[in-house]
Amino acid sequence: MRRFVYDTYDQEMLEELSRLPEVWDCTGCRTCEVRCPKGLKPVEVLYALRNQMVETGKVEPTVRDALESVFLEGNPWNKPRATRFDWMEGLDVKIAQEGEQVEYLFYVCCTVAYDPKLQVVAQNLVKLMEKAGANYAFLGEEETCCGSEVEALGEEELFQELLEENTELFSNYPANKIVTLSPHCLTALKKYQDLKPEVIHYTQLLEELVREGDLTFDGEYSKKVVFHDPCYLGKQNGIYEEPRQVLKSIPGLELVEFNRSRERSLCCEGGGGKMWVETSSQQERLAETRARDARELEAEVIAAACPFCVLTLDDAVKAVGHEEEMKVQEITEILGELL
Amino acid sequence: MKTFVCIKYVPDTSEADVKLDETGLGVDTSRFSFDINEADNYAVEEAVQIKENHGGEVSVLSIGPQSSEVTIRMALAKGGDDAIRVEDSRIFEHDPLAVAKVLSAAVKDQDYKLILTGCMANDDGNMSVGVAMAEELGIPHASMVKQVEVLDEGKVRAYRELEGGVMEVVELTLPAVLTIQTGINEPRYAPIKGIRQAKKKELKVMSLDDLGLPAEQVDESASKIKLNKMYIPEVEAKAEFIEGEEPEEKAEKLAEILQKGGLA
Amino acid sequence: MGDVFVIIEHRRGEIRDVNWEMLNLASQVAPEMGGNVVSVLLGSGVDEFTEKLSGACDKVLYVEDALLESFNADKYQRVLSSIIDEHQPKIVMVGHTAQGVDLAPALAVEKDLPYLTELVGLRIEDQKPVGVRQYYQGKVNAEFSFADADTYLFTVREAAFEPMEANQKGSVEKVESPLKEELDYRKFIEYQEAEVGDVDITQSDVLVGLGRGVREDKNMPLMEELAGLLGADMCGSRAAVDAGWLPHDRQVGTSGKTVKPKLYFAVGISGAFQHLAGIKGAKTVVAINKDPNAPIFAEADYGIVDDLFKVVPKLNEKLNEMKG
Repeated sequence: MRRFVYDTYDQEMLEELSRLPEVWDCTGCRTCEVRCPKGLKPVEVLYALRNQMVETGKVEPTVRDALESVFLEGNPWNKPRATRFDWMEGLDVKIAQEGEQVEYLFYVCCTVAYDPKLQVVAQNLVKLMEKAGANYAFLGEEETCCGSEVEALGEEELFQELLEENTELFSNYPANKIVTLSPHCLTALKKYQDLKPEVIHYTQLLEELVREGDLTFDGEYSKKVVFHDPCYLGKQNGIYEEPRQVLKSIPGLELVEFNRSRERSLCCEGGGGKMWVETSSQQERLAETRARDARELEAEVIAAACPFCVLTLDDAVKAVGHEEEMKVQEITEILGELL
Repeated sequence: MKTFVCIKYVPDTSEADVKLDETGLGVDTSRFSFDINEADNYAVEEAVQIKENHGGEVSVLSIGPQSSEVTIRMALAKGGDDAIRVEDSRIFEHDPLAVAKVLSAAVKDQDYKLILTGCMANDDGNMSVGVAMAEELGIPHASMVKQVEVLDEGKVRAYRELEGGVMEVVELTLPAVLTIQTGINEPRYAPIKGIRQAKKKELKVMSLDDLGLPAEQVDESASKIKLNKMYIPEVEAKAEFIEGEEPEEKAEKLAEILQKGGLA
Repeated sequence: MGDVFVIIEHRRGEIRDVNWEMLNLASQVAPEMGGNVVSVLLGSGVDEFTEKLSGACDKVLYVEDALLESFNADKYQRVLSSIIDEHQPKIVMVGHTAQGVDLAPALAVEKDLPYLTELVGLRIEDQKPVGVRQYYQGKVNAEFSFADADTYLFTVREAAFEPMEANQKGSVEKVESPLKEELDYRKFIEYQEAEVGDVDITQSDVLVGLGRGVREDKNMPLMEELAGLLGADMCGSRAAVDAGWLPHDRQVGTSGKTVKPKLYFAVGISGAFQHLAGIKGAKTVVAINKDPNAPIFAEADYGIVDDLFKVVPKLNEKLNEMKG
C-alpha cells in the first residue's frame, strides 16, 4: 500500500498503477474493514488513488460520463433532472413542503428514480405508507444525487459539493427521520455531518411499522425466499435483522439463509462505482456465484434490499440460466404483491 | 500557436419525445438536459492536445445564454485559457451564415493559427458554420476532420473522413478552419476541482455591439431564409411488430423493410 | 431562367447515389420554374460519365481540367462561382455529404445566396422555392421560404428521394475551366483506405447487437452471417461480453460504449435500461426477442416476437437472395 502512494507522485507510474485490478475492481464492500484485526481501512487508500486519477482527468469514458452527468443533471445515468419524478405519475404522492415537519422524509435514489425496473420500489413505498397511515413526504424537484458512487469513483470534490447542497436542502425540510431507498444513499447521507434528522433505511421503517401493527399483510406469498444481505446495508451499517423481520411477517413466505450471510455476505459487485466500470477479472462474477448458491438452496426468490443488488443479481440469475426457476425481487416488490 | 475552438450548448433530445412550444417556431426544451454539443467536445479535446504538443493557447468561443457558462468553464478546465460568450437576442441563429458572421467577428482581429469547430451540431444538423467562417475570414478550411497533424512551416495536415471510411488527406496553410468529426480522440474528464479553478480564467461576455457587428447584418431581417413553421413529422407508433404465421414470413417482411429503407 | 443545376459528386470513378436522387428532385421542380435540369460535372477524365448523366437530365455541363483531378472544395468553388455567374441557374443543388458540406457553405457566403441544408422536401410555390429540413435528429420538420434571389443554394439529404430513371437524351456541353494554376493554400495529398482492423463501434453505421438470447458461442457463425449481410459490425450487451462471444470493446451500455448507428439490429437482447442508454443515438432499431414484454421493444422501430433461431436463418436466406 505505501509503495502505491509514493508512486503516484510520478504521473506515468500513476497511470500504470491505476490499471491494476485492485484499484478499479474494488466494490467498496468493506469486507476487509470488517475483518481486519488491526481495524485498518484499505478502501480509503484505494479511493484516494482513484481521486488522483480523477484529478488528472484520465478516467474511463464511462466514469467520465457518469460524473459529468451528476455534475450537470444530478444523477449518474445521463438523464435530465426534469424527468427525475416521472415515476410518480399516476400516484398521489405527498410532497414535502418547506418548513413543514414530517415524521418520515423519503430520499429516492437516482437509480430507483430513473430505471424502469426499479421505479416500482418507490411506487410501492408510497402505497405502503398510505396503507400504514404514516406521516411521510417525498422530496420534490430539488432532490439530487447523494454522491455515494461519486465518492467511490474518486471525485472527492464533487462529493463535497453534493454534501453541502444536500445538507442545505434537508435543512429546509424538517423531519424526524430521513428514509433512504438505497443502502448506498444511506451510507453517503450518514457521512453528512450536519443533518439533524436520523438517517435510516426503509427496511428499518417497515420493520417498525410491522412490529407496531401499523402494517399488516393479507393474502399469501408462498415462496421459498433467500435474503441477500447488501454490503452497504449489512457490513457498513449493521442492519441485518430488520429486512428479515419484514420478510418473516409475510404470510406463507419461507425464509432460508445463504451459507455466506450477514457479515459474510458475498458482494454482488454493484457498488464502489462498479455500475460504470467493468471488471478486468476473467473469473465468474460474484453475483453469478451467489445465483448458484441460491439455486442450491432451491430458493424461488432472491430478496434484495438494494437497487444495485437487484440489477446485478437479476443479470446473474439469467447468466447461469436459472431464470425459469428463480427470480430476484426487491423487498418492496414482494410486499407490493400483497397490497 | 493560438487556437480558437467554437462550442455550442445543445439539448439532448435523443430519448424523449419532442414537442413544439407555443410559438410553433421552436421546441419546448423544459424537460431536456443540456450539454456541450458532442462534436464540439471532441474539438475542445483536440485543441487542448494541440496546445499540449505544440504550445500556444486555446480560446473558447460560444454563442449562448448564461446557463451555458458551465460548459464553457468545463472546456476551460480541460485546458482552455480564456473564453468569449456572445449573447444577443437579435442574432438569427437558424441561419448558419449569420452564426458564422458573428463568430468570425469575434476572432477576426486576433492573431490565431487555427479555428476548430465541431463538424455538426446535434440540434440543427447544418454542418455549415465552420466552413462559412473560413470563407468570411478568407482562410482555407477542411471539414469532417478525423485526424490533425500540425506540421512545421505553418501548415497542417488534415485527414477528412469520407463516406465508406475513406480518408481524404489534405494539407492547408495556416491560419485555417478545421471542423472536427466525433471519434477523433477521447475527450478527457474535467474534474470539479479544475472547473472551480477555471473560474479564475477570463470569460468575457459580449453583445453584437461589443463585437462591433451591426445587428442588421445578422438578424432575422438580414437573413435570406425565413422560418415559416415547425411541425412534428408523422411517425409510426413505436415498434411496428412484424406479423406472420411462420418465422419465415416475418423474416421475409423484415428483409423487405430493410431493403426499402436502404439498410440492406 | 428557372434552371436547376445539380452538382455531381463523384469519387474514384464512381458517381454517388445521391446525384440520381437530386436529379429526380430537380426534374420535379424545374418545370414549375420554367427551366431545365442541368448536371454540372467537374473533374479530370470525366467525359466517361457524361453519357450516363445525359440519360437523366436535360443537359450536362462539364469541365475537364487536370487541376480538378481530385475533389478540392476551393477549386470547385471557383469553377462553380464562375458557372453560376455565367449561367444564372435558379437553384443549385449539392448532396449533403462530406464533399457537399466542404463546399456549399463557402459558396453560399461568397455569392451571398439564400442557403438551406439537408433538404428532405422541396416544392415551388408561385415560382419560388419552399424547403423542408429537419431538426433534432429527425424529430422535428421545419419549413423555410426565402428572400427573392437570382440563385438559391441547397444541400440535399441522401436517400431522402427516389433516384432518377435514365430515360432521356440530354445534351452535353463542355465548359472552359476558369482555373489557371494550382492552389498553394489547400493541397490534396492522397486517399487512404479505411483500416481493416480495430473497429470503433461508436462510429459504426450498422450494428448487430447480441444479447443473452444468443445462448452459446456455437451460435456465433449465424450471427456473423447476419452481420456480414447487413454490412454490420458486431457488438453486444454485457451478457454477450461476459459469455466471451465478444471482446470488451464491443460492449454497449452504461459500462461500455455509446453507439449511434443508422441501424441497430438487436438479437436476443432484453433491453435493460443500462444497455438502452448506450443505443439511444441509434436511428432505426430492429429487435428480435421471444418475450413480447422485453423492454427493447419500447425502443425498437420494428420488432419480431419469435424464436431468433427460427427467424435469423430465414432472414439470412432472404438477404442473400436480395444480394444475388
